[in-house]
Amino acid sequence: MKTLITIITILSLHFAFGQSTYEKGMTQAFELWQEKKTDDAANLFERIARAEKENWIPFYYAAQVHITASFNSKDAKEIESRLIKAQDLVNEAKTFSDTNAEVLILEAMLNTAYVVYNPSVYGMTHSPKVDKLYLQAKQLEPENPRAILYHAEWQMGAAKFWGKDPKAFCPEVEKAILYFEKESSDVPFYPQWGMNQIERIQANCKS
Amino acid sequence: MKIITTIILFFSLNAVISQTSVSGIVTDESNTPIPGANVYLDGTYDGGSTDLNGKFEFNTSETGAQTLIVSFLSFESYMLTKDVKDLSGVTIKLKEDINSLGSVILNAGTFSAGDNSEAAVLTPLDIVTTAGAAGDYIGAFQTLPGTSTVAEDGRLFVRGGDANETNIYIDGLQVFQPFSPSANNLPTRGRFSPFLFKGTNFSTGGYSAEYGNALSSVLLLNTIDEPEEEKTELQFINVGLGGGNTQKWGKNSFSFNAFYLNLKPYQNIVDQRVDWINPYESISGESVYRHQFDNGLLKVYGGFTYSDFELNQKDINVPQGINFYLKNRNLYLNSSYQGDLGNDWSIISGVSFANDNNAIAIDNMDVDSADNSFHLKLKFRKRYSNRFKINYGVEQYLTNYQEAASSPDFETFESDYTSNTTAVFTEANIFLSKKFAFQTGIRGSYNSLIQDYKVSPRVSLAYKISENSQLSLAYGDFYQLPGQSVLKYETELEQEKSSHYIANYLYQKNGRMFRAETYYKTYEDLIKYSTEMPQFDSQFNNNGEGFAAGLDLFWRDNRSINNLEYWVTYSYLNTERDYQNFEGKATPNFAAAHNLSVVGKYFKEEWKSMISATYNFASGRPYDNPNSSGFLAEKTKSFNSLNLSWAYLISPQKILYVSASNVLGADNIFNYQYSNTPDVDGQFARTAIRQPADRFFIVGFFWTISDNKNDNQLDNL
Repeated sequence: MKTLITIITILSLHFAFGQSTYEKGMTQAFELWQEKKTDDAANLFERIARAEKENWIPFYYAAQVHITASFNSKDAKEIESRLIKAQDLVNEAKTFSDTNAEVLILEAMLNTAYVVYNPSVYGMTHSPKVDKLYLQAKQLEPENPRAILYHAEWQMGAAKFWGKDPKAFCPEVEKAILYFEKESSDVPFYPQWGMNQIERIQANCKS
Repeated sequence: MKIITTIILFFSLNAVISQTSVSGIVTDESNTPIPGANVYLDGTYDGGSTDLNGKFEFNTSETGAQTLIVSFLSFESYMLTKDVKDLSGVTIKLKEDINSLGSVILNAGTFSAGDNSEAAVLTPLDIVTTAGAAGDYIGAFQTLPGTSTVAEDGRLFVRGGDANETNIYIDGLQVFQPFSPSANNLPTRGRFSPFLFKGTNFSTGGYSAEYGNALSSVLLLNTIDEPEEEKTELQFINVGLGGGNTQKWGKNSFSFNAFYLNLKPYQNIVDQRVDWINPYESISGESVYRHQFDNGLLKVYGGFTYSDFELNQKDINVPQGINFYLKNRNLYLNSSYQGDLGNDWSIISGVSFANDNNAIAIDNMDVDSADNSFHLKLKFRKRYSNRFKINYGVEQYLTNYQEAASSPDFETFESDYTSNTTAVFTEANIFLSKKFAFQTGIRGSYNSLIQDYKVSPRVSLAYKISENSQLSLAYGDFYQLPGQSVLKYETELEQEKSSHYIANYLYQKNGRMFRAETYYKTYEDLIKYSTEMPQFDSQFNNNGEGFAAGLDLFWRDNRSINNLEYWVTYSYLNTERDYQNFEGKATPNFAAAHNLSVVGKYFKEEWKSMISATYNFASGRPYDNPNSSGFLAEKTKSFNSLNLSWAYLISPQKILYVSASNVLGADNIFNYQYSNTPDVDGQFARTAIRQPADRFFIVGFFWTISDNKNDNQLDNL
């Protein structure tokens, strides 16, 4: 009996220890990101992903860091190489989790980044992909607030372009708010971002 | 129990105490430090990023042999396995990844278009929204430098070569009859619809050893690997109706489209210079099936066209005109497989087949012909590294041609031939660095009909002279079999030959591209014959020769003005040749010395409209005047055409499209036909060969139906 307890203790200690390295690493990466040390953050997420194996979450964040950074850059070469890198990371995340709404949402943002960066080259080819990815994500998780919110934002943009009322998608935003409040996950670092963007997107619903 | 705890504690303490430091510097091949590189021990959390001086340092509790990995955007990842203790103060040089952005491009002679590659001169949208191209896949390429405007023909005339010197390939396999049939001096169109294709390579010279039997140029079209979504597309145009559908299921997809074209209603309204009896009418269909295997992709493409027309062709020697009737049926099948064989070997193989039937009636003479052609290709590619790849390939061409001509004046005259060509090629692609690359290959081919064996070397190299510019050179020998019109009467001939010498300068920066290319091209062993047209009693020989030299300029700018994209091309061509029934060396009628195109597209958001304009200019073309002494010594007036088009997006999936060619109504003259006999004053009378109509108008409505409500056909117009 004693031996058993010892083994269990050692194992759980070991597990806890392992867990905490992951958590420590991830927390540190988020801190770096917050400190705007973009490349350090992306590198750390990628290192964690490579060490963890079979975990899509660190790949997901590594890709997200590059995508977000591309939105803030004006250097064509930097944007393109970041987006290529992000696509590689998204593909790796997909190999561990191929029917994952969160990864699809991220991929939709990646394609949005291409369209924003160079509409004349990528508009025609990448816009349909954005729509398709959001639709797929919503099919997998009808209550995913990020899929609903960001698809609504994308559609509002299209509606504005066509001279239609973007307010048509405001009920979607309301729905997203509801689902954000309900959202919870047991998986550490499971994507939960996006709520702070509601105010910006809801600006379309005023006036 | 206590003992165990102690031991565990001791070990973990020990682990904390015995941290090893890993440190060093990361640079590129020219010793410039690389900041921001990711450095870590494989399979562990231990690592860090390099600082501004390329330096890194981190601690690890790992012991023994470990693998240090260094990775950074656009460099090849680096691995070093050593005992951790020896991993301090290491110097690591990363090699540039030649597959990444900013690598030198082997582009002498070549235009890449329709994909998003770095060297692409035309985007997918351009190919079809170019005003004047009127949805013809070939039209946009006629605005590229190196091509001559030959508006009464519609095919590609490249660098002093005639239209027969350009071959077209779909997925690496030859298209035997890429153009719809037409009568003399009436422009033809490409048979395929634009929306089945993505990336295209148009080579105006110096192309790869993979392609043969073309003296001047190859146009390589690739079908889409995987369609984005299921959709239905409908087209209603003033000259026809069309529709298409795409389905996807599992690892399969299937697309088809059909189009019915009838020029009769249009020509009843708009006056034509041509005396049509039955205006052009055609029905065509295409389909593509694709299946994705675990390690490969199978594509099967099939196209069918039926067309007919009848007209009375004006002829100065025949006052009542010549009655010309044509009926054509064309079937083209193409299936290809590309797959990974493991161990860095890959295979690309395929077969294409064409069956082409013509029934022609010229006054009371009937000519029926049937052409069956095959092309089989097997190619292997070995990737030794990112920087060194070799292709090996073997091809077989088979053509059987039969023709029967009958008329009340003579007995039925039959001619036929079967031609077999076997070719082998190999080509190495070598990147010495991100800045310097070359490709060298050799091709051997044997034709059974004329029993002729030829070997042609090809070389191409490129060197990057600065961050935004590069120089390339290319050389190659090219052979081509005599054409169908000759082979049906004579086989004691050799292949025609040309050699290309090309120098290219390319500058690219932030949405602007400048490309200058100069070339010299020799022609040898061109076919000559003793009669006006090849016929059964002509004397044939290989004594023709010629040259072409020129300068091609291309400027494209997508940046300077918001929402405006434009490109300007200018080609200077100096060419002379002695071939066919020429009296001696002369510049042929199709070769104008100066060609200029200006293409602009403006997207006006408030109007939801894309407005395009294309202006083409060509200097006068040589023609032969029997009233003067020289041969092909006079020139027509210059060619001018301004084309406009307007695509209006009614809603995301509905587009209204209007286009007009030659809006200014320039009366362009391509050539003159002279009377065979002089009049009473001893002068030969003439008629001008002019446009069939001054202007051509298209009005169309394009409707897309799909789950995705934002997809439309703008990219297919």
